[in-house]
Amino acid sequence: MKKKRCIAMLLAGGQGSRLGILTEDMAKPAIPYGGKYRIIDFPLSNCTNSGIDVVGVMTQYQPLELNSYIGSGSPWDLDLSYGGVYVLPPYVKGKHGEWYSGTANAIYQNVAFIRQFSPDHVLILAGDHIYKMDYNAMLNYHIEKEADATIAVREVPWEDAPRFGIMNTTAENVIFEFDEKPAKPKNNKASMGVYIFRWDKLLHYLTEDAKHPDSSNDFGKNIIPNMMADKQRMMAYDFEGYWKDVGTVYSLWEAHMDLLQMPMPIDLYDKNWRIYGRNPGETPHYVAPGATVKNCLVTEGCEVYGSVSHSVLFSGVTVMEGAVVEDSVVMPNAVVQCGAMVRRAIVAEDAVIGAGATVGETGGEIAVVGHAATVAKGGKIEPGQQFRGDAGSAERK
Amino acid sequence: MAMKDVMGIIYTGERDSFLRELTALRAVAAVPVAGRYRVIDFLVSSFVNSDIPNVGVIMQKNYHSLMDHLGSGKEWDLHGKSDGLFILPPFLTAENNGQYPGSLDALHANLNYIRRSRQEYVLLCNSLIIFNADFRDMVKSYEKSGADVCMMYSKRPDMQRSEYGVYLGIDEQGMINDLEIDPTKPRYENTSLEVTLLKKDLLINLIDRGVSRGYHDLMRHVFQRMIRDAGLRAAGYEYKKPCYRIDSIQSYFRFNMEVIKPEIRNDLFSDDRPVYTKLRDEMPARYLEHASISDSIVADGCIVDARVSRSVLFRGVRIGKGARVKNCIIMQDSVVEEDAELENCILDKQAHVRAGGKLIGPPSYPIVISKNMTI
Repeated sequence: MKKKRCIAMLLAGGQGSRLGILTEDMAKPAIPYGGKYRIIDFPLSNCTNSGIDVVGVMTQYQPLELNSYIGSGSPWDLDLSYGGVYVLPPYVKGKHGEWYSGTANAIYQNVAFIRQFSPDHVLILAGDHIYKMDYNAMLNYHIEKEADATIAVREVPWEDAPRFGIMNTTAENVIFEFDEKPAKPKNNKASMGVYIFRWDKLLHYLTEDAKHPDSSNDFGKNIIPNMMADKQRMMAYDFEGYWKDVGTVYSLWEAHMDLLQMPMPIDLYDKNWRIYGRNPGETPHYVAPGATVKNCLVTEGCEVYGSVSHSVLFSGVTVMEGAVVEDSVVMPNAVVQCGAMVRRAIVAEDAVIGAGATVGETGGEIAVVGHAATVAKGGKIEPGQQFRGDAGSAERK
Repeated sequence: MAMKDVMGIIYTGERDSFLRELTALRAVAAVPVAGRYRVIDFLVSSFVNSDIPNVGVIMQKNYHSLMDHLGSGKEWDLHGKSDGLFILPPFLTAENNGQYPGSLDALHANLNYIRRSRQEYVLLCNSLIIFNADFRDMVKSYEKSGADVCMMYSKRPDMQRSEYGVYLGIDEQGMINDLEIDPTKPRYENTSLEVTLLKKDLLINLIDRGVSRGYHDLMRHVFQRMIRDAGLRAAGYEYKKPCYRIDSIQSYFRFNMEVIKPEIRNDLFSDDRPVYTKLRDEMPARYLEHASISDSIVADGCIVDARVSRSVLFRGVRIGKGARVKNCIIMQDSVVEEDAELENCILDKQAHVRAGGKLIGPPSYPIVISKNMTI
């Protein structure tokens, strides 16, 4: 088989438990973002825009939504005869099967997949972040510097550095030390969880790691420290630009509010670096006489009769007469009925906010209405409350 | 007969001069409508939603934009291995000079495609009609009638034009006994939607005979004569739901304004019969601080900071602060700068109205700004 210079492996099995009820029935990378995307669209679009045309997506936690979303990969031009996107769930081998026990283990269990393409390098990605990045530029840097591993880093404010995995580097950007959440940081270059490895080196360290039953089988905890200990050539690759972890309810909400700034901190209008996604293919949205929309993003398929400000409406959302949506994120096909008030909230897919109900409040903590949940007519969801509804996830559209 | 035995053929070559600037560089089939569609999307989606697996599109002049739009047919799930979407551009041979004088010549030039297709029946359409039709019902009615051909018509008064069009005389048994073409004053209220269903063998026979007699137009020279004089048994099939003919700037404008109405839109784009179109990955539309919008439909990728009422904004339209847009159709990637004022206008793709510009057209005769024009 023809060789590939570099293939990508995307770790999409994480639960994202800090997102609360939003990830109860879908994996974090499948969470809707920005009106018409899902988080995984960002790494997948980055791959296709970077010319990386083999992407293995390792799924494990609640994979249904993600699997059907990825499908054949055509939205990202990753439906190729040779290459494309592959969904890689854990599977039974010999007499027993095993779950992915850690990030490194997920790759280790897919060695046979990677070998099909005999790549020189393997790009490891996570499905947790909103960012636009040219992986090809990073790959060229990795090759040019003859690195065994290259880790993408970005400078974080010094006071935040203790929350991250910090790379201590020389003036030439060679990593000489890795500090996981240092109390007294010596540097402010934080790992982004984007790595490129020489495949022969990575295979060696994965194989060694798998022999240790006590290992966490994790890149940050095991593979990278082991390579450091062996004095492998580890380079830091500086990334500048918007990068947002959307791991908590607040950060997910905040990442949406970022899109309402002018100019947007991440340019999603860039025709040279489009973010692709599975398009719901609905009609243009409708704004009725008497409705008001200000400072917001509104997607195709929406119907707005009420008042929407400083909010993001995903496709197919209906805001009925007299309803008010402020500082909120309303995910696909949710309905805000007449006179309901939604403020500082995330309303998940297919949820219904009954007539006259109140969700969240101005200045309050972010309220969450879960997938397909129904807030009763005149009901009230307190700021910071996560409302699952009676039906829970069973009743889905 | 099963729907997989029916192939659809769309002829896109006629009557495109009536849309003036909008069809200067494209076929009517490729004219953008309703914020993110092209005229032909409705027809192709109707085929797909009716389980017709094979769709041929006969192209004539200016077919680049249509080819670009339809591509491999992927968006309509028409990219299968044996059936699917077939784009049929004109080509030069000894008997074909690349331009079709009429629909009969166009079909004749594509006889090989028609013969080779494995379907037994052909549904012929032209590309001026917008509807979301279920052809399964028409096929049933055709079968029941036992007629040679079946033609779809509408009785809706808004479909009647005085200058051109085909009108059908229908007897009590529902059979077509006369066919009027472009009458000054039509005698019949049954406006043909120029959708004709017949057996493939019969079509091939009619094409061969027609061409050998030097005829050019299938409606005028074949069907009209055969029905009037040669005993061709043609059944009528009434289409009762809304349909629209795009054959003038006024009808184009009217259709787009109709689509703003929720009840019309919900009917034309029902959930179980979606209208597919080529996708473009765009951000959601964005409203800024000074946006004030009412009774309008807006596609993704727009940025609006102005007053917009009763208008259709296609993808990627930008409307600057202080501008006023009323009763307008603004196509993809057009820009209306600050403080410009537009009323009753159609802006073709990538048109640009500079700051402070003012264009007020009469409601009955909207101003058309051509593609790429800067005002």
